[in-house]
Amino acid sequence: MDISYQIPRAALIWVLISVILVILPQSIRLPAWIIAIVVICITWRLLIFAGKLNYPGRLVRVAVVVFTLVVSATQMRNIGVGLDSAAGLLTLGFVFKLIEMRHKRDIYVVLSLCFVMAMVAFLYSQSAVSTVYIAITVTIITAAMVALNRSSLIVDTGGTMRLALKIILQAVPLTVILFLVFPRIAPLWAVPLQTSANSTGVTDEMSPGDISQLGRSAALAFRVQFENSVPLLHENLYWRGLVLDDFDGATWRRTRSRSAYGNAAQIANFQFDWEDRIRIEGNPILYNVILEPTQQPWIYALHLAQPVSKNMFQSRNFEIFNNGLISQRLSYDLSSYRNNQTDLILLDSQRSRNTELPEEGNSQSLEFARQLRSSVATDRDFAYAVLAYFQRNAFFYTLNPALLGENRIDDFLFNTLEGFCEHYASAFSFLMRAVGIPSRVVVGYQGAEYNRFEDYMMVYQYNAHAWNEVWLEGEGWIRFDPTGAVSPERIQLGVEEALRNDPAFMEEAFFSAARFGGVDWINTLRLRLDAIEYEWNRRVVNYDEDVQFELFERLFGDVTEQKILILLIGLAGIVIVAVGFTVIRIEPRSKHSPIVKAYLNIGKELEKVGLGRRQGEGPLDYCDRVVDARPELAGVMTELTDLYISLSYRSKSPGSEQQKRDLKDLKAALNELRFKLSPIARFR
Amino acid sequence: MFSLNLDKKADSRAHLVENKFSLQVQATVNEVGKALLGKNHQIRLALCCLFSGGHLLIEDLPGMGKTTLAYALAKALHLNYNRIQFTSDLLPADILGISIFDQTTAKFSFHPGPIFSQLVLADEINRTTPKTQSALLEAMEERQVSVEGETRSLPDPFFVIATQNPSTLAGTYPLPESQLDRFLMRLRLGYPDQRAERELLEMNTERDKVKEVQQCLSNDAVLEFRRKSAEVNASDALLDYVQRLIAFTRGKEEFHFGLSPRGSLAIMRASKTWALMCGRNHVVPEDVQTILPNVVEHRLRATSDEDGHTGASLVQRLLNEVDVIE
Repeated sequence: MDISYQIPRAALIWVLISVILVILPQSIRLPAWIIAIVVICITWRLLIFAGKLNYPGRLVRVAVVVFTLVVSATQMRNIGVGLDSAAGLLTLGFVFKLIEMRHKRDIYVVLSLCFVMAMVAFLYSQSAVSTVYIAITVTIITAAMVALNRSSLIVDTGGTMRLALKIILQAVPLTVILFLVFPRIAPLWAVPLQTSANSTGVTDEMSPGDISQLGRSAALAFRVQFENSVPLLHENLYWRGLVLDDFDGATWRRTRSRSAYGNAAQIANFQFDWEDRIRIEGNPILYNVILEPTQQPWIYALHLAQPVSKNMFQSRNFEIFNNGLISQRLSYDLSSYRNNQTDLILLDSQRSRNTELPEEGNSQSLEFARQLRSSVATDRDFAYAVLAYFQRNAFFYTLNPALLGENRIDDFLFNTLEGFCEHYASAFSFLMRAVGIPSRVVVGYQGAEYNRFEDYMMVYQYNAHAWNEVWLEGEGWIRFDPTGAVSPERIQLGVEEALRNDPAFMEEAFFSAARFGGVDWINTLRLRLDAIEYEWNRRVVNYDEDVQFELFERLFGDVTEQKILILLIGLAGIVIVAVGFTVIRIEPRSKHSPIVKAYLNIGKELEKVGLGRRQGEGPLDYCDRVVDARPELAGVMTELTDLYISLSYRSKSPGSEQQKRDLKDLKAALNELRFKLSPIARFR
Repeated sequence: MFSLNLDKKADSRAHLVENKFSLQVQATVNEVGKALLGKNHQIRLALCCLFSGGHLLIEDLPGMGKTTLAYALAKALHLNYNRIQFTSDLLPADILGISIFDQTTAKFSFHPGPIFSQLVLADEINRTTPKTQSALLEAMEERQVSVEGETRSLPDPFFVIATQNPSTLAGTYPLPESQLDRFLMRLRLGYPDQRAERELLEMNTERDKVKEVQQCLSNDAVLEFRRKSAEVNASDALLDYVQRLIAFTRGKEEFHFGLSPRGSLAIMRASKTWALMCGRNHVVPEDVQTILPNVVEHRLRATSDEDGHTGASLVQRLLNEVDVIE
């Protein structure tokens, strides 16, 4: 085999590192058997490298192809055509190519695939950390390409890495410009993300145990930044999500109208009488929320909120919906009126829906509610009496409550006496409805963690919460939180304080930094990292068409198609000119030293009198020829030639003092020559 | 055609700097020039070759003064001189020497061959068999001779002038490229110009003139030239130029093969000596250009070449197309 087609050993190590780096982020999602194949292939490759194993034979390769075909077919049938199955297939083909590569040509295929794999990682995560990781990976892949093109005799890891870094750094300005000005075109097709299976978050159903399940997760739900940084107390941070008003004895559900969630026009019909149904006072609080993908359409806000961003609309229960499922990180602006009253007049249909109970079951609770109601004067007093009941009796706030029997409310109120917020909210609403007071369950998040580094708040899945809204005559819908009666620290200090000793709390996030919140520097580090992530999301990931448009407007005033066209053409021109210059600069002509430049100028000057330097003519010969033709130039020409020879050929150490002086003299002599030549040239 | 004087800068006049070396050279050239009229440039080149420690191949028609040059050089530099006339029946032992049984001492005693002298004229080298040619060339390269298991050093300085007749090639063994490469320079003497010819005719005989040549340089002076020439400075700009010249021969299609590293070393060695002989301590491009035809002509060959004499036009291309400044 021709040596020039062989793979340099140093390059192979670089390639293997690149391969491992690009597969690493995928490895969390890939099935275990693919990981096993990856490990086998890399080991095989290393053994080939060490000379202990041979390349796979024809039979093995055919078997591999058949295997991959069968596997991909089954994969598509089992989990459907989607990103996960495609990524798995790509990984398989990628690592199989690894054991097959013999020639440089094969390595180029593998390296190109490395770039593709690196980009696949972006489909899953676009966080700052993963971006830094991918940038490092791309540098390493570039280093592999550099190593591949160096002589196999050179093992200069530092040099290879430096060159790769230089190449990547050169690409940075272009990347930034393209990022800023490249038109954001909506994708023509979208890869179906199959992440709903393992996504966490609040859903539109609430059975006992649902929210306590979220308490085990330390995943981020959303981040909030207030415009004027209003110091809200922890107990006021009720992030209202959905209103559940349909109870079947076990589960609270949201009443669905005939239309699906995504139907904007239907729900927008409720908008027209919005102004009539509310009474607001004071100035609104303005804030921005960046919501992690939920695969659900609704968003979270402080009550009573009015969306500022477009593509949002409000339901008749003042929930806010996005137009379409939130499958990627969503940033939206809101304004909320904290002093509000809603639905002072309750429609009959509403009243009946919010007092409806299943016909059977929980008779003990019903009886209890009626007795308690008869002992107090007003509906409001009744609500407080129920809260007082929770407070007085030995109710216990826990993530791991005892299992409930058939009559869940009875069992909870009089038997087990322990539960998470959904139990209290459910029981509270039941008791209200039992005596005909309109009441409903609201699910969302309560509380937040403040990040002092970037002045924003972080809300985690374990902040998930359920509370109640009760309609009182003359007051409208009023928020009641029975959990607060049982565990006041949950509301005032946060769930971390309330569940400090509960082993189930955040049990799914064993290594999460939040678990080590007690250690000061870890906590600082965690907040600092999250602050970076937040800024990254705000400024980079959320840089969309609108922001781009705003930027253009700020820079160029009114944005017209003409201007955008000119801008694009201009940028393309700059890029072409820049590339052109680099190409021209590769020509060795440009690296003339000042000495040679000055000498070439002599030739140019004398060209005017027909005595240009000939190609291949030495300086002494040239001098002779010029002096022969123009004896009057003998003095200056000899001086010039002597200086030039002294500078170019006499000394071996350029840059000495003597050289600098000589160069100065050379330039002076050149000027003298010009002076002497000017009358001759004019005469000609 | 081979005797045409191709060298346009036969008279290297203006580039001289007067110092000990250039004056010595001038004196020697003048002295040798008494015997070989009008051939000062060739004498100078022959001296350059000698001072560089290389060997010289003179290629010209019979009767052009090859022997005269060798003999005059030997006299002017006070070198002991031997001439070997190469014929087809010459054997290596005839050159190197042979051990003969001495009856009086009853021992074999070594009788050194003609190669054991400071200046050897190997006349018509292409007339002898390759075996004998190789014996000579080996001695030239190694500067020592191994006869009957004993290694004997050749005198220092050791200088071979080989001649060959390029016209009648019948019954000869032309030197292959690999052996031509061993010669630092190939020289042609060429016809004398009119004035020199007239002078020659007036004198009637040339051999008498050789006897008049006086010694100008001692052996030590020759050795000093050789030592000093190695110390001559070649700047980066000059090395760049030489590299471009070499690269040109290697990259162009007309060249059957490029210059070998030995060839490029020869260029540098000869250029440095030439610079020293001109009284400079640094090499300028003109030095390279002056010696270049003689140093590389016999090492180059055009793709379309048949008899190995296309080097001259290739060198002209080199000189014209490779610029001194990049």
